Amino acid sequence: MSETFTKAMARNIFYGGAVFFFLLFLGLTFDSMKALPKRDHRENITESVTRGKLIWETRNCVGCHTILGEGAYFAPELGNVYKRRGGDNGGAEFIKAWIQSQPTGVPGRRQMPQFHLNDQQLEDMVQFLKWTSEVNTGTWPPNIEG
Amino acid sequence: MDNTRAHPQILATPPGDLAIWFFIYAELLAFGVFFVAYAFARAHNVELFNESQQHLNRASGAINTLVLITSSYFVVRGVAAIQRGYSTLCARWLAAAIGLGGVFLAIKLHEFDAVFSAGISLSTNTFYMFYLSLTLFHFMHVILGMVILFAVMLKAQRGGYSAEEHRGVETGASYWHMVDLLWIILFPLVYVIH
Amino acid sequence: MQYKSQAVAKPYFIAAIALFVGQILFGLIMGYQYVVGDFLFPAIPFNVARMVHTNLLIVWLLFGFMGAAYYLIPEETETELYSPKLALITFWVFLAAGALTIVGYLMVPYATLAAMTGNDLLPTMGREFLEQPLPTKLGIVVVALSLLFNISMTVLKGRKTSISLVLLLGLWGLAVFFLFSFYNSHNLVLDKYFWWWTVHLWVEGVWELILGAMLAFVLIKITGVDREVIEKWLYVIIAMTLITGIIGTGHHYFWIGTPDYWQWFGSVFSALEPIPFFMMTVFAFNMVNRRRREHPNKAATLWALGTGVMAFLGAGVWGFLHTLAPVNYYTHGSQITAAHGHMAFYGAYVMVNLTMISYAMPMLRGRTANSGPAQTMEMWSFWLMTVSIVFITLFLTAAGILQIWLQRMGTNPMGFMDAQDQVRLFYWLREIAGFVFLTGLVLYIWSFFCKKGEAVKA
Repeated sequence: MSETFTKAMARNIFYGGAVFFFLLFLGLTFDSMKALPKRDHRENITESVTRGKLIWETRNCVGCHTILGEGAYFAPELGNVYKRRGGDNGGAEFIKAWIQSQPTGVPGRRQMPQFHLNDQQLEDMVQFLKWTSEVNTGTWPPNIEG
Repeated sequence: MDNTRAHPQILATPPGDLAIWFFIYAELLAFGVFFVAYAFARAHNVELFNESQQHLNRASGAINTLVLITSSYFVVRGVAAIQRGYSTLCARWLAAAIGLGGVFLAIKLHEFDAVFSAGISLSTNTFYMFYLSLTLFHFMHVILGMVILFAVMLKAQRGGYSAEEHRGVETGASYWHMVDLLWIILFPLVYVIH
Repeated sequence: MQYKSQAVAKPYFIAAIALFVGQILFGLIMGYQYVVGDFLFPAIPFNVARMVHTNLLIVWLLFGFMGAAYYLIPEETETELYSPKLALITFWVFLAAGALTIVGYLMVPYATLAAMTGNDLLPTMGREFLEQPLPTKLGIVVVALSLLFNISMTVLKGRKTSISLVLLLGLWGLAVFFLFSFYNSHNLVLDKYFWWWTVHLWVEGVWELILGAMLAFVLIKITGVDREVIEKWLYVIIAMTLITGIIGTGHHYFWIGTPDYWQWFGSVFSALEPIPFFMMTVFAFNMVNRRRREHPNKAATLWALGTGVMAFLGAGVWGFLHTLAPVNYYTHGSQITAAHGHMAFYGAYVMVNLTMISYAMPMLRGRTANSGPAQTMEMWSFWLMTVSIVFITLFLTAAGILQIWLQRMGTNPMGFMDAQDQVRLFYWLREIAGFVFLTGLVLYIWSFFCKKGEAVKA
């Protein structure tokens, strides 16, 4: 076996294969970048959405929640929370009231910290979650519960 | 061809470096899974697939099939040449095979050009996703195969192979035959079968 | 120990194990918060505990990789390290940066930490696993560059073996792909797309090169099998890793706004990702069976075999379970993901580091192998930790299946928290398994101080 299977050949396959598939990956990435604007609706990313994302990040929301299924699995999915809580009919109000009323303090229940967001920040948070809920995710999650 | 048969080593183990055969099996597996996925997706969208298939350039696909089969034949002649110890002849046959690979790429580029200028992309529909992925994936394999054959050809030209020791030629040839084989499956599957 | 400069690996390994303990303690806190939600609230909210848990994991694995690099490169290249002093300075810089970051997470609200550390200049914080403040991220780059410089210079002046080249390639890849952690688009979809270039291309790409090189090194040492054979295997395994793993990134691009064709690409290529892990298992057993010497360090052999098996189970089998797009549609972002994450990280990266430490630490302490009783104790810790991680994975898998059934299937799905209440039993069982794991870890550390029996002299 060792005679017909040289280390040099195995090495060539490694380098060739790695380069080949990385190029393929770059090609697919190039195509994805061209296709994304239609799916992420970036024309709707306002300054408020941008600020909302920063609030999302600096409060480490992803340390408990998932967003589009990524994050921690301790608290509900928030990619579609805007729609789950009423969409354009009450979604914004629900989210703001929810964030403001935390923590619930119910003994033994999971607790969300109080972040002391002002009205503008609450609005930014809502705008970010609204935009996220409109991203074309290929019909995921399976139902509104996320 | 008789010379190939007469070579005792060929019967004992697969030709070329065993490592390339692991690679070839892995490649066949990856393409195989894609072919199965194609059949699966087609079964769910028969009409879409049949409709979209009408727009493919079947003539260029058929010509390319002939081009690749011929190039594989040239590679066989190259191997036969080196088995008799003719290095220069081997290099010439390989050069001819590489040339035909270039013809394949040119025809394919022409076909892609027409498809892309019609505004078709991976996201157009499931059929085109498969058509473009499979043919582009195969396209890159043709390029890789040509690079391998080219490296083998250079070494043959320098007299790096002999009638006794020419596993490198067989290794490159095996890979090229796989690229050819994949196209022979791909062409009827994607271009022809309704 | 054949080269004096290999000694710099020792502090790296000690720090790795110390941070490992921290990681497990915070894991237990989180596991308890899963059932008693307000435990330690508001002092340590879940998101802080999780950040500490995952960041400690990453940092201690990096300590392990670096220690491994400093230990094995002199032996592979047959020359002393280019600069042992630089390696020691790097160690203290990394330890200080890591410790400060963890203290920052625990003492200051995250938003304040972000404001204090210049997140406004370049917002990179608050993304899973990349929560580190900007100065820490820059520190990681500096530490990585220092390591790369030191190792590259050593390789350049010494013997160039395949193992050292693969390790070097893996470490360079680690540094290069970490640079994507500095990219953070205000467009969440783009943010996620390139976030995976760090996260996926690390753990299912370049880290596997490091893993392969470390495993190959230890296998050569303990089995005495011909280097040519082992290095050939190494190349074939890592070739398959990258061939399947690079496009396999697509299994993260199913539902985050990326084009639908990723469902096909991701499914096909990641379905092949178990192959290199399976080969690694076959490789480890094959080499041990063909051994040409009886190395007195039985514990290291056990860890090496365990790495093969558990990496295959955790990364290969549990990865495959939910990698096909139609399955992942239901399992995405559920406890199934957590189950896979735990066994994959333990099986692949924790175990390969413990393999390396198990082999190298006795050498660094001036002996070929620990005494029989010490090794027995270490092997007990192997089984306690490994069996408990299997149970943690099984309980989380059960929790995940139930969660999906209640929350994502059927016409009348439950809300998230209602479903969580239904799976509490499995979270309790997971926490118990977690304490068994801690017992194993304590025993592991104890084995270093075991005075019974005679160590095998070098």
